[in-house]
Amino acid sequence: MLTKELIGNIADATGLSKKRVEELLTANNAIMREKLVAGQAIQLQGLGTLETKERKERTIVHPRTGERSVVPAKSQVVFRPVANIKNELK
Amino acid sequence: MGNKLSWTELRRLLAQRAGSNEKEATLFLTAFNTELIKALKRDKQVKINGLGIFKLQAVAPRKSVNVSTGEQITIEGYNKIVFAPEAGVKELVAQGPQENEEITPLKKLGEQAEEIVDILADLGQSPSGEITPEAPVAEEPVVETPAPEEPVVETPAPEPIPAPEPVVEAPQPTVHEAPKKTQPQPKKYHFLRDTLITVLILLLILAGGYYFLRTQIASILQNLLQPQPTEQVAQPAPEEPVAETPAPAEEVQSKDTVPLEPIFYEDLITIEKIRSGSRLTWMAKRYYGDKMYWPYLYDANRDRITNPSDIAIGTPIRVPRLTAEQMDTTIERSRLRLEQLTREAQEACKN
Repeated sequence: MLTKELIGNIADATGLSKKRVEELLTANNAIMREKLVAGQAIQLQGLGTLETKERKERTIVHPRTGERSVVPAKSQVVFRPVANIKNELK
Repeated sequence: MGNKLSWTELRRLLAQRAGSNEKEATLFLTAFNTELIKALKRDKQVKINGLGIFKLQAVAPRKSVNVSTGEQITIEGYNKIVFAPEAGVKELVAQGPQENEEITPLKKLGEQAEEIVDILADLGQSPSGEITPEAPVAEEPVVETPAPEEPVVETPAPEPIPAPEPVVEAPQPTVHEAPKKTQPQPKKYHFLRDTLITVLILLLILAGGYYFLRTQIASILQNLLQPQPTEQVAQPAPEEPVAETPAPAEEVQSKDTVPLEPIFYEDLITIEKIRSGSRLTWMAKRYYGDKMYWPYLYDANRDRITNPSDIAIGTPIRVPRLTAEQMDTTIERSRLRLEQLTREAQEACKN
């Protein structure tokens, strides 16, 4: 499903106008982006949490050439669903 | 950093950002969540522009073993929700948490002070080009200034840093004295440390050189002490003196003392043609029971073999019947003969 559809669905569910929902969604996305970049987790009630996880530096070996290289440490966005959502979508 | 942005906080922020009340924000957020789940169930994938994609990923059933009973069990397949951030977001997050003035909430006093010190350090860097004295400044003034004095007393080094410095530390310190005292100290320290390190490295190099050259020096000394022995003995001496030395000695012995008349092989077991992959050693093992007798095969076929390790395919090889005496290496004579033949055969391999 794409963003437009989602906006339509939310608008239907809430009774807000599509335009308003779009505004809210972009604002919401902006907040989430900023928080994630700052390394903060975001709680989405009834859904789960979006959080950043640090990945350590590690070495990999190219299977064909045997070449070794280092994957630098980085952090990643990870989604952790709430238990009942996890079960519901099983 | 690292703490969780709570639901209520998100609601408040969203209301602020979107210019609406919290009621509307709550309405939107709950609808967002429920619609997201619905969409996930239906399409297995929801794309949100400006954020990323939520996906439902199938995990296939797999076999496992019950740890306590050893029984085979299957773990059922299931779906899991995966979030893949948009490319831009992903990169930003990968760089790790960054100071973002706009969002970070009010800082604690200590943090603010640290930040000001950092900014001052940055400012001081451009005019004077020196960063080192800045760090100690923050601590030193407290210790070294019992009476607050005017910084006018001595101002030989007009630096822009000292003026705003007092803002950080409550007491009015003579800031100019502090950097003056601290400045040479770290430099001296660095100089001492550097020389120490270089001396250490030099010593290490010398020690390493000595260690590597030790064996060579020993051999040179040996040569000087006993200049007579031939090179054959002198050179391998430091490496493996026990293994090598007896061989040349015997060589001299066998060549000189034992007169070995050539053998005429008349009694043949068979004549075998060399095939691809044939080896004289394997043939010796087959006919004589031990591959050590292979030089006899070479000896019996000298007219056809120039290099025993490279014989043309199809070459007929005479396999002579060896006498009991020839095969008995406990007899001095046969042992010496075998040794000599081996040497000759190995020599031929180099052709």
